[in-house]
Amino acid sequence: MSASPVTPPAEVEVSAAPPNPQTWVSWFSLATTFREERFFLLLAVFIGFFSGLAVVCFRLAIEWSKIAVLGPAPQAHDWRLLAAPSLIGLLVSVLVIHLFPRARGSGVNQTKAALYIYNGFIPFRTAIGKFLTSALSIGAGHSLGPEDPSLQIGASLASALGRRMDLSREKLRLLAPVGAAAGLAAAFNAPISAVLFVIEEVIGRWSAGVLGSVVLSAISSVVVMRWFLGAEPLFRIPSVAFLRPTELIAYIVLGLIGGFAAVIFAKAIGYFRPRLRALPRWTQYLQPALAGLIIGLIGFFGAPQVMGAGYEYMDQAMHDQFTWQMLGILAGLKIVSTTLSFVSGTPGGMFAPTLFIGAMLGGAVGGVERLFYPHLTASTATYALVGMGVLFAAFLRAPMTSVFMVLEVSGNYSIIVPVIVANTFAYVLSRSLQPTPIFDILTRQDGLELPSLEEQRERTVLLVEDAMKPPVTPALNAEDSVDQAMHRVQDSLDDVFLVRMSPSGWSAISREALKKLVGEGKGELTLGSTLPIRRLPHLHPDLPLEVALRYVNQSAVLPVVHRADSHNLVGVISRDNVLHKYQVAGSEEAG
Amino acid sequence: MNLERLTALTKLPSVVIASLLLLAVVAFAAVNRLVNRFSEQELALARHLHERGQQEQRLGHPARALEDFRAALSYDRGNFQYRLSLARALRDSGRTDESETYLNSLWEEQPQDGAVNLALARLYAREKSIDNAIRYYHNAIYGVWTSDAESRRLSAHLELTQFLLQQNATQQAEAELITLALHLPRDPSVLLQVAGDFMRTRDYEQALFHYQETLHLAHDDEAALSGAGQAAFQLGRYRLAYDELSAAVRHNPEDADAKQALQLDEFVLRSDPFERGISGAERDRRVRTAFEAAGKRLDSCTPPEGSAATSPAPLESLRAQWRAMKARLGRLRGRNAESPEAIMDLVFQIEQQATQSGQICSAASDIDRALVLLAQSRGDEGMRDQNQGDAHAGAAQ
Repeated sequence: MSASPVTPPAEVEVSAAPPNPQTWVSWFSLATTFREERFFLLLAVFIGFFSGLAVVCFRLAIEWSKIAVLGPAPQAHDWRLLAAPSLIGLLVSVLVIHLFPRARGSGVNQTKAALYIYNGFIPFRTAIGKFLTSALSIGAGHSLGPEDPSLQIGASLASALGRRMDLSREKLRLLAPVGAAAGLAAAFNAPISAVLFVIEEVIGRWSAGVLGSVVLSAISSVVVMRWFLGAEPLFRIPSVAFLRPTELIAYIVLGLIGGFAAVIFAKAIGYFRPRLRALPRWTQYLQPALAGLIIGLIGFFGAPQVMGAGYEYMDQAMHDQFTWQMLGILAGLKIVSTTLSFVSGTPGGMFAPTLFIGAMLGGAVGGVERLFYPHLTASTATYALVGMGVLFAAFLRAPMTSVFMVLEVSGNYSIIVPVIVANTFAYVLSRSLQPTPIFDILTRQDGLELPSLEEQRERTVLLVEDAMKPPVTPALNAEDSVDQAMHRVQDSLDDVFLVRMSPSGWSAISREALKKLVGEGKGELTLGSTLPIRRLPHLHPDLPLEVALRYVNQSAVLPVVHRADSHNLVGVISRDNVLHKYQVAGSEEAG
Repeated sequence: MNLERLTALTKLPSVVIASLLLLAVVAFAAVNRLVNRFSEQELALARHLHERGQQEQRLGHPARALEDFRAALSYDRGNFQYRLSLARALRDSGRTDESETYLNSLWEEQPQDGAVNLALARLYAREKSIDNAIRYYHNAIYGVWTSDAESRRLSAHLELTQFLLQQNATQQAEAELITLALHLPRDPSVLLQVAGDFMRTRDYEQALFHYQETLHLAHDDEAALSGAGQAAFQLGRYRLAYDELSAAVRHNPEDADAKQALQLDEFVLRSDPFERGISGAERDRRVRTAFEAAGKRLDSCTPPEGSAATSPAPLESLRAQWRAMKARLGRLRGRNAESPEAIMDLVFQIEQQATQSGQICSAASDIDRALVLLAQSRGDEGMRDQNQGDAHAGAAQ
């Protein structure tokens, strides 16, 4: 019997329908046909649908808010640029402090908290609060994006829906990430990136059940969003191309500069956020207003592009509508303004600002590089796109999502090589200069102990081969007689011996049992005939050690066999071996 | 049914799914209504901003127009017309790279669109990229226009001709004009413009024809009269030129060009000894006047004193011929010793040679210019006669 395919727990009925004498109920009831897994998949579709609708409304609310407070065509030197973000900041702070305290902070972390701490529970009030306050603040020009709130609105909706159903605790927990994927997919109009992000940053593990529901919810939300708002991607990407491999050097430079920028951005947030939160309570009312005023000043004096999510300006940057100097200035100002907005506790996300900074920085670096090396063929759009991926990888620390996000928003696979190269350099540099990812910094500042998925990914997985010992005593064969077996083990120091059964499988017999059989005059019998039919589980060297832990109580030793030949014993493993290995590894990590 | 059972019933998957479906339908309808209303408002806002942008552009505020067009596009992202307006505004603001990017993306969407092609043609014309400009002008001429297609095609064609004339590509311009002339509307202003363009390409026959066509539609059009007169003058049809120019000056006595041309034309007519219907005495008088004028012109052709330059040999030879003829005419006063043709041939040779030797000859007087024009006119006629003769001979063979 192989231990690797661990038998799943028996599937649980969704609900036990009460005995009902009425035939129409029993006819109408499909309870027996719906197992929880299938029901969960169907529920994921509904979650995606409702999240899509919510995100559509959220985007309309941001637009409406923007038109209402900044006017239809805000331009520099307009007094509304000063007044709107500061006054709305004041209003938002009152709403957050008195009505929606959970609307402040990162939606990603709150979704993770729901998954790991609160059994999938996110109050619906949070969704309402996030919707209102984020729409107001982003619309009024605070330098934040709609993706993180969309993610949280989706998660919150999913949680609210799930609470009405009779779901197992495991499924209830997973509802929040499923909703989060739907919200993010609709906000980005990029289902693959959303799925990857949620798997990479929120759930942290791949499994068919989770993946299926996350994908279904993401797809259904994107379908709904496209139904209402059109299938256009976030950006109108001009033709981008990657022609010469030598140009990769230019992208490596971009990756390194982007990595530095991401570190500055993360460190600024990590430094100022706890300090501002530690200030007296009355200052919490003024912080978003003050941040809004400073951002308004930036806009008023000539850079209104940094206000709001800024997608239209990313689009313009890709179409060569800014000089490289202007692009560099905008990247710098966006770091400042987003830091101000976020650390002041204004609700909103950092996805769009991250992309904005990346696009501007990419365009600027590309512009400078082309100044010195005019033969470089890549356009500003190419550099801007790669820059987006670079910041995404280095700041949000989601390297896989960053690659797919660029591919999805560009619809162009020819730039995959530059994107991967630049993102890798940015990611590695950011990790070495800022070991803790931004989401983990925020989590710790909030006093939560959520698993760091980046750390989990990096953690060494202990395998069976790390704990097993080489077989000292040769394995016995089922065809051997008890006398022969006794003779073979008489010099061994072990007390339990593995028996190779025929035609397959393994069993074990102790020295005491052998002696007893000989004493009973059964020395002529074959070992196979004296052993129970039930076989021992066998392991393979590459299995995670935790798999061995499940079976080590079944026998004093377990066989570790070759995958290509299950009769080939490559090692033995006991409970002591496993525990000793964990102890050693634990003390190494602690040290 | 008690509350407990009702609660249990609501937990049935089928009931849950049915409820969710119902909720989904209701929510979808509500959001649909909301989105539609919001979209309508956004589209109206976009229209307003676009119109404001166009107004700003007309008032000469391209920067404000740009902002308005951009804002309009933010509310109606894919709108072709707004993007085109933005691209045009960018082009007119000198931001040609941005404009080119926009126009190229529009062109990729609708390569047959006349307006986009025309905008690209103007962009390249502005950048003096002649081949690209011609390519997109042609695309515009043969492209698809949503409204008023014929006049827009005509306008693009005329614009292309103007562009070619500005680039001194007169042969290409003439070729375009000839194509254009095949399908011209009976519109005096268009005919007048085409005639003017033909004048610039020096195709005076076509110019005269189109001026005359214009005059058929607008009898008193002063510009057409003047143009027809000048075209006829250039063709050596001085009597016709006189009629047209006289009419033009009558209609607009301030027309200095017409007046000047008319003055010269009168000189030519008055100096022409071969004009039909004049008396023999008048012909002799004109021949003598021309002969004397040619002599004076010859006399003026002397290198400045102290200059090492000498009179060209042909001029010296003509001087000798003139003197010899003068002597013969003096001896045989009153008798037809020399035919008017022979005298005028010498006169024409002298005037043409003197014109070619402008560095040492004095400036031509009105009669000198008239005689040069008559010489050219005679030469052209001779050429035409010879061509016709050759043609007849060819036909006979």
